[in-house]
Amino acid sequence: MLQGLRLQRLPSVQPGIALAMRALAIAIVVLAASIALLVAGEDPLALGAQLVSATFSSTFGMEDFGLLVIPLILTGLSVAVGQQIGTWNIGAEGQFLVGAFAATAVGLFVPGPAWLILPLIIAAGALGGVVWILVPTLARAFVGVNELITTLLLNFVAALLVYYVSTGPWRDRVGMSNSSTARITVEMPEFWGLIHWGLPIAILMALAAAAILAFSRWGYEVRLSGSNPSAAAYAGIAVRRHIITVMLLSGLIAGVAGAFELAGTVHRLQGGISNNFGYLGIMVAVLARNSCVGVIFTGILMAFILNSGIILQTQGITTSAVLAMTGAILFLTAIGDELAHYRILRAGSTRA
Amino acid sequence: MDLLTGILATTFLAGGVLALAAMGEVLAERVGVVNLGAEGLMAMGAITGVATVAAVPSPALGFAAALVVGALFGMVFAFATVTIRANQVLCGLALTLIGTGLANTIGRSYSGTPSAAVFERVEVPLLSDIPILGPALFSQNVLLYLIYIVLPLGLHYLLFHTRHGLNMRAVGENPAAADAAGIPVGLIRFAYVTAGAALCGGAGAYLTLAFVPAWSDGMVAGRGWIAVSLVIFAGYRPVNAVLTALLFGLITSIGFVGQARNWPVAAPFLSMLPYLGTIALMIVPVLAWQKVRRLMAAPAALGEPFYRDVR
Repeated sequence: MLQGLRLQRLPSVQPGIALAMRALAIAIVVLAASIALLVAGEDPLALGAQLVSATFSSTFGMEDFGLLVIPLILTGLSVAVGQQIGTWNIGAEGQFLVGAFAATAVGLFVPGPAWLILPLIIAAGALGGVVWILVPTLARAFVGVNELITTLLLNFVAALLVYYVSTGPWRDRVGMSNSSTARITVEMPEFWGLIHWGLPIAILMALAAAAILAFSRWGYEVRLSGSNPSAAAYAGIAVRRHIITVMLLSGLIAGVAGAFELAGTVHRLQGGISNNFGYLGIMVAVLARNSCVGVIFTGILMAFILNSGIILQTQGITTSAVLAMTGAILFLTAIGDELAHYRILRAGSTRA
Repeated sequence: MDLLTGILATTFLAGGVLALAAMGEVLAERVGVVNLGAEGLMAMGAITGVATVAAVPSPALGFAAALVVGALFGMVFAFATVTIRANQVLCGLALTLIGTGLANTIGRSYSGTPSAAVFERVEVPLLSDIPILGPALFSQNVLLYLIYIVLPLGLHYLLFHTRHGLNMRAVGENPAAADAAGIPVGLIRFAYVTAGAALCGGAGAYLTLAFVPAWSDGMVAGRGWIAVSLVIFAGYRPVNAVLTALLFGLITSIGFVGQARNWPVAAPFLSMLPYLGTIALMIVPVLAWQKVRRLMAAPAALGEPFYRDVR
């Protein structure tokens, strides 16, 4: 039956097919999850209807959903920015945590008026993210050490650090909590309902990053260094310097995400504050094919998936199950991306 | 004396997890495939071990089941990365998310209770009476002999002293040349990615059936990633991988001793040691000796899919 047809592999991905593959990947995983629920004696259609109504038909649901969008856009942007020059920042989770940690330090221990402290909190978060990616960045730029593994390993160190301060020296002694710090007094101002100004700022950051990458000389050099480092070096572009700035920027964005989460959503530092946002950010970036504008939409999509998991917790779905589903979507997307290189030709076609 | 014996015994016990996973990763990477899913495979192996012994109280069966589950997940990974030739980094990260998420989901009903059966210690007659070394080396569970003697020597012999091993390395270094010489590149990659994944699954079962005999959420805690880094430091050699794993066993056991003896350092900081140590190991040697890079270089085609028709 297949005689007369053959496959041709194109050097680059066909964007339309890649997008269709992403939709297909999500559809397959949702279908598989529905079947699993059906086997477990649940009604997937009723659950789906419940999800949509719980999320979109009440202010409360929209607020919960919107609050998840903010960190996911930012961690996705963090990974996507790193990918512009071909670096893998798998450490957004750790940079997020250290950003939240640094923000807490300012929020708890620096007195002052809110108009002054709030910018300081965000700056501290940004600095925390930069500090946390500094060693992997320098190791990658100067010694060629794989940044994927070094950034990832620091996630565990960051988690231990946050666990230590929130259960130890910074523990909330007044509120009788054993696992979190006291509530910081300064908050991000609200934008819509409980959703704080982090949402429009995150979207603006993504748009700004996209514009700088697309229209500035720096952005051009970064993209060139990412797609062909040796050609870029030959053209006199300082590839190493760009790797350093891009990776630090990636860490900064994740750190800001941590500061927003702390000052806008959670208000106190606790062990689970990162909520896998860093790892889900990888997913957000991959689904957006590393487009800085795209992460706004895939961040919203990912927030919906994560939010669904949280709503369905009573039905036995946990954040762990959401993580596994996310992994399955990522896996199928990787396969789909490879398949999107191919096109089917009829034998004897002149276009071969 | 007791302290030294204790540190040594824990070193071998703790290093075993990393050694097993690192040897699995060596297999995959030697044939040219980076498997970043080690962390997820270990999580699946760990929960498989616990769930199996809960049903049938045989640690050997639990370990075997974990090997099988690791191999099955490895086949799925190999299908994507070797057969379809999808991006290895993405597939590996995906496998980590799937394995970790699935294991934590399944593990909810096993959380907190100790494993129903574990690998018991076996005292080797006479040898276990040697002071200091005896209890550390010859009064351990049987898996350790597999991990520290049989597997590294066997894999070393396979890779560097057999025709088949030469073929494996050729596939990892230059698949096009290997293919031209008639070596089945795809088949060899598929087989050793699967075998490597099985060892990672086994490493997970070792964790729950011999080292920390209980399941808890997130208990693999980055050991898969440390194993992946060890392989780089070990220059993709099985014996070196085991020796490096022992070094990490030592770091872990120093952390344990510190907690047990109430050193004036908070426990979370001692727990950071293996991660910080790994990062130091990845950076310092390359800084110190530039020659190391050539000597310990990765297989030339590592991470690259092989397209016969393109090149």
